[in-house]
Amino acid sequence: MSTKLAHRNALPAGLTFPSRRPLGMTEAMALVPRHELTPLLRAVASGDRPALAKLYARTSAKLYGVILRLLRSESDAEEVLQEVFVSVWRNAARFDEERASPITWLCTLARNRSIDRLRRRQLATAPLEAASEIALDEPSAFERIDAQQEAGRLRTCLDELESRPRALIEAAFLDGATYSQLAEREGVPLGTMKSWIRRGLQRLKGCLER
Amino acid sequence: MSSAPPLSTERDALAAEYALGLLEGQELANARELERTDPAFRVAVDRWNHRFAPLYDGVAPVEPPEGILEAIDRQIGPAATQGSDNIVVLRRRLARWRVLASGSTALAASLALALLIERPGEIAPPAPRSAPMVAMIEGGGGTARLVAAWNAADRRLMVIPAVVPPADAAHSHELWLIPADGKPRSMGVMPDGTMRVTIDEPMAGKLREGAMLAVSLEPAGGSPGDGPSGPVLASGKLTRA
Repeated sequence: MSTKLAHRNALPAGLTFPSRRPLGMTEAMALVPRHELTPLLRAVASGDRPALAKLYARTSAKLYGVILRLLRSESDAEEVLQEVFVSVWRNAARFDEERASPITWLCTLARNRSIDRLRRRQLATAPLEAASEIALDEPSAFERIDAQQEAGRLRTCLDELESRPRALIEAAFLDGATYSQLAEREGVPLGTMKSWIRRGLQRLKGCLER
Repeated sequence: MSSAPPLSTERDALAAEYALGLLEGQELANARELERTDPAFRVAVDRWNHRFAPLYDGVAPVEPPEGILEAIDRQIGPAATQGSDNIVVLRRRLARWRVLASGSTALAASLALALLIERPGEIAPPAPRSAPMVAMIEGGGGTARLVAAWNAADRRLMVIPAVVPPADAAHSHELWLIPADGKPRSMGVMPDGTMRVTIDEPMAGKLREGAMLAVSLEPAGGSPGDGPSGPVLASGKLTRA
């Protein structure tokens, strides 16, 4: 695996509008098919320790990529990756194959944990009450879908967006940026940022529902 | 989902913003509240999460450093590798202990020690370098009560909650060691049930008679800083068993 290249990808300086990045299935996603991960998760749920090690071998690079992209700190990312797998060990029984693909379930867990950490960093000195607003640890239930078909549709619809809203949506999802952070980075008023993104989301939804 | 009534455009936009993680402060609090109370909103958030999931394809995998799986193993604890029979036995004993806990501290402590040291199916541990120790970790007015057993021979620490106010999804309980120097060291975020950890060599040396163990309420995942950030729910000192 080309770790160096991956690191560069994971640590961009500030928000820029990247040239169109292909949103196709990466080799990592393609290499861990659903039919292999689902039985592994089921085995983990039953307390099978070697299955957890196997699951780690298959998915940790993808999850570490997502976490590192969000946190941009290797030491934090290592801790969160650890938390995620401990959480998987304890909550694997909650995975419902009818509702989510295993890799999406795992990525959502990793993303929620990372955003949790990001927000906690931002309010490190705020009182404990503020922490109750942090994103939930549990991935929410997904509807049953055909992941591949859905991926293709999102790609098509994102491509129909202008480059700016597309980059902003990706920055929010993959970098954990909030409205105010995006507004600050782009040097526009908060209201402008909101209307840019909302318009983008409307278009995206319209396209996805066509 | 077909059973949920359609959301207003405004609500659906909020669901999208929430799923993307754009919201902060009051808006985030409102969205959380809606997620808790409004099934239609919850479905909308799920749907948006789902729509965005293919974005993960754009993230390049990065090989994590070595040693993380081992750290995960340590955190999960040794008992998990044992057969389920042992766990059932432990649970049964724990249930019995819970009844006893309100009565005799000494009895509870000795039972906890028995749980820590007696491990069916395993080779007997080597002769202890020092005597096992216990701590009754208690909060004011019996609001929280846990018992800890420390076996220096194999550096295993077990903490059994008897009475602990449940932490919600946004909070965790964290265990702290406060040795003679008075500086709290995190022993990790506590699981829902019994906590079993193997303590690293340098830290193990600090688990001595008179050292304090404490449990604090923290944001989910543990304290953001070096020490406890939330209220201390219970504390107690290690004593020789």
